[in-house]
Amino acid sequence: MNRFDAIRFLVQHLGSDAVVANLGTNDCDLNAAGDRPENFYMWGGMGLTASVGLGIALAQPSRRVVVLDGDGSILMNMGVLATLADQAPRNLLYVVFDNELWAETGRQPTHTARVTDLAAVARGAGLRQVALVRELEEFQRVVQRALAEEGPWCIVAKVEETGKAGPLPSLTPDGNVLRFVEAMRS
Amino acid sequence: MDWSDAVVEALRRHDVRVVAYVPDTITWRVLGKLEKDPAFHLVPCTREDDAIGVASGVYLGRGRAAVFVQSSGFGNCINALGSLAIPCRTPFPVFVGIRGDLWEFNIVQVPVGRGVAPIMQVLGMSAYSLDDPSPEAVSFAVEGALYTTFNTRIPVGLLIGPRLSGGKRI
Repeated sequence: MNRFDAIRFLVQHLGSDAVVANLGTNDCDLNAAGDRPENFYMWGGMGLTASVGLGIALAQPSRRVVVLDGDGSILMNMGVLATLADQAPRNLLYVVFDNELWAETGRQPTHTARVTDLAAVARGAGLRQVALVRELEEFQRVVQRALAEEGPWCIVAKVEETGKAGPLPSLTPDGNVLRFVEAMRS
Repeated sequence: MDWSDAVVEALRRHDVRVVAYVPDTITWRVLGKLEKDPAFHLVPCTREDDAIGVASGVYLGRGRAAVFVQSSGFGNCINALGSLAIPCRTPFPVFVGIRGDLWEFNIVQVPVGRGVAPIMQVLGMSAYSLDDPSPEAVSFAVEGALYTTFNTRIPVGLLIGPRLSGGKRI
């Protein structure tokens, strides 16, 4: 499946849910799919997208939080999957788009291209609602289920890397924080 | 009432509700009390930078968090502070149980322990050493640091030194 198609589908099904996108391609695709005040774009903090999502989920228990992560980032901090399982926030949907590449740095294959199964890692870390999907229709079905049920949900979506769907959002990191915090008021 | 109670009360007064940490014996003097207190939600993390990410997220969600780490583990926080919390200006206190100072037996704790304050300062944070164990002095410093971090929106370091911890002897 194509990552932008998947993110566009997801964004169309969000209400006032918070979204945190991993640095790089996920930022660009989320921005192209629909910039909104409830979007937080990571510019740095590689590996910490899920950690930031967990923090938002704890502080906003009545709002759903969607995390868009990448394989390169979660490989850097797989321990956070154990923390997600341990905290088990019911309002969290964690999606990792696995293109099996460090796309930003020159398309070097990551460990998931060879040996590592992120869905198995997530299950082993203690997450119970875990789905591995390869086709867009499958992704759409699982997302609809995950948005209807209590979490934490983890979707590992295998994607083909076709490049970014648009530019980085035209926000400074600090400006993004101020806009996001304001959006969390209501 | 000892220094650890003063930290707990300062956190309570400044509406800190989420505490993300990797445990160590020094900060456990505080964390052990927070764990039993229903006003606080504890998030044990597997790595120290994870705790920085969680604390940044709590601020994004309009909450207030604190981070507790040990000094060698603080080394794992550098990129999380430098490329996330500081440029995004997501404020929280980082309490560090300092090893490698007076009454230290273990040489491996010395290099990063000595580095905590200078690393924080070069990243653009203030680092305050808690050197007077009296509850009044700890209250003044911790409450002042919490007031400053949440008003200026820059994370702040609070270093729990050997006068409070007693050091680490065999």
